[in-house]
Amino acid sequence: MKAMKRYLYDGTADGLFSAISWILEEEADPENVVLAEHEQALFEDGFFINTDSIQAEQLFTRLRYRAPDAAYTLYLFMLAEKGGMESSLLHYISLVFTHGDKVSGYLTHPAVRDIVSTAKKAGRELHRMKGLLRFEQLQDGAYLAKMEPDHNIIQPLASYFRTRLRAQPWFLYDVKRRTAAQWSSGVLQFGAIEQFITPALSADEKKVQLLWRTFFKTIAISDRKNPRLQKSNMPMKYWKYLTEKQGE
Amino acid sequence: MDTLAKLQILSGAARYDASCASSGSKREASPGGIGNTSQSGICHSWSDDGRCISLLKILLSNDCRYDCAYCVNRSSNDIERASFTAREVVELTLEFYRRNYIEGLFLSSAVMQSPDVTMDRMVKIVETLRQEEQFGGYIHLKIIPGCSSELVRKAGLYADRISVNIELPSQVSLQRLAPQKHKDAILEPMALIGREITSSLIERKADRRAPRFAPAGQSTQMIIGASPENDFQILSLSQGLYKKMHLKRVYYSAYVPVCEDSRLPVLASPPLLREHRLYQADWLLRFYGFAADEILSDDLPFLDETFDPKTAWALRHPEFFPVEINRADYTTLLRVPGIGVTSAKRIIAARRFSAITPEGMKKIGVVMKRAKYFITNSGMRFEKPVRTPAFVRQQLLLGEGRATEPPRQLVFPGLYP
Repeated sequence: MKAMKRYLYDGTADGLFSAISWILEEEADPENVVLAEHEQALFEDGFFINTDSIQAEQLFTRLRYRAPDAAYTLYLFMLAEKGGMESSLLHYISLVFTHGDKVSGYLTHPAVRDIVSTAKKAGRELHRMKGLLRFEQLQDGAYLAKMEPDHNIIQPLASYFRTRLRAQPWFLYDVKRRTAAQWSSGVLQFGAIEQFITPALSADEKKVQLLWRTFFKTIAISDRKNPRLQKSNMPMKYWKYLTEKQGE
Repeated sequence: MDTLAKLQILSGAARYDASCASSGSKREASPGGIGNTSQSGICHSWSDDGRCISLLKILLSNDCRYDCAYCVNRSSNDIERASFTAREVVELTLEFYRRNYIEGLFLSSAVMQSPDVTMDRMVKIVETLRQEEQFGGYIHLKIIPGCSSELVRKAGLYADRISVNIELPSQVSLQRLAPQKHKDAILEPMALIGREITSSLIERKADRRAPRFAPAGQSTQMIIGASPENDFQILSLSQGLYKKMHLKRVYYSAYVPVCEDSRLPVLASPPLLREHRLYQADWLLRFYGFAADEILSDDLPFLDETFDPKTAWALRHPEFFPVEINRADYTTLLRVPGIGVTSAKRIIAARRFSAITPEGMKKIGVVMKRAKYFITNSGMRFEKPVRTPAFVRQQLLLGEGRATEPPRQLVFPGLYP
């Protein structure tokens, strides 16, 4: 077997994509290339590729033009913030340039499977959170929703709610990543939160929550009780911020 | 009575309606309003029975004039009665929607003074939500059989989905258990809705701004196990509803004994497995190109409890198999147990790149445990060709020595159209 060529990059997203861009241009057979994060070790095997954010940007533009669906798959893949899959990513992108959007059907290829299945998981959690996110009304009339998703989905989630709940001001807060999104007077902003202080709830909030909890209880048919099915559809890791699962 | 007490009574009375779908409609939010709908539908929670909650499912009132034997709200049942005011329903919907508890409203009702009075009040609530409050979320409205066609037309203009419950699978059972309901009063609005949906689609092709009529289509529901019809009759009825009335969904609801009545069967527990098998067969009708008389017949009127309907069909048709994975067309692949719509599509897509290997089949998501008895892979069989249906039946049942898992009860969430 031919020896694999090994390349390294600096660990940033820009570095990753500029390295991929460079390899696709310079290497005849990207399938024979391994790409990994540079680890500051004294004797590290491999050739380091410098980061060039313009090149990274250009690669994404080309991808979007050549294969918009595959570009969206890559976007979802990046939300997963999963390390150690750089080589799969390289091989996938190389295949995108040969096959276009059809590439996602090439599930028998290990790299395609890695990327598509990781992207799918992120996409699934995004879809799930569209349903499972719970807002609470604050004293000033704005709404706040807290969450701890596995994937970094605050951006697409916020753009989803900006159309759905456009008539009310709201915040999304990712407790794990300490990031927040704010929608107010027609502007959506993202930022980091240094210190989170739980704001006071509006006077009616607890009443509405009680109504919802009551509905949640009575809508279940007790002859058909099935906690296993409930948990498989709605994993317990999401219960922490679910209004209907408080005080159980 | 305060809203909380009413909610308890009127959601408790609505829980036997199986429909929870919020899919099939795509509406953009209006500039000053609240809410939109998503084509795929969104589940917001799952209740203790494992069923998805996507809509605020309530009755406007449980104060019923009718006396249907199977229904918890029958007039002779001694239960507490309540009715929401229009404002209460509107406020509940909006307050829940603002907090992202729900996708929208599912509004049904017991028959108050008359079908027309009841339907009129329901339509007015939905009108308020759409016109005054600019509510763009999902609305599922139940049609009260016997109301005027004018009200049905109005309902379809405001709601995403409208439905008329067929309740029981035959006129005979309807007469016996729900003497005040008539088959014609149920089928008539269904046909009317079907016609309106079709003509609205034609009008919208000519003019994009033409009003939409129930964009998410119509559905219905029937109760399983309260009357003596067999599965073949039920499936044939469903097939007719899908083909002739263009229904989007038929829901099956395992009969839960809610009141004592000599006309009703005594059941130890609701027939959940039967309901599950019917849903599987329903999927075969809608997505797998099966006809009701392929799945069942007069000689075989009930679905197999041990095997899912597709496996049962495959075991009766050894002449159809084995199917060659690398050559069979989509409709043939769909007939293989262990291959569903998703994996059949994936097989077709992956074949464009290279022949699929046994390893690739697993990656694609084919359930090899079941499929291996029915396929060849580039001419190679996974099981000896002498396997008789009886042997395969036994292997599938025993899972090659491992204990078989108890069948899971599923109520399909609103993700599907």
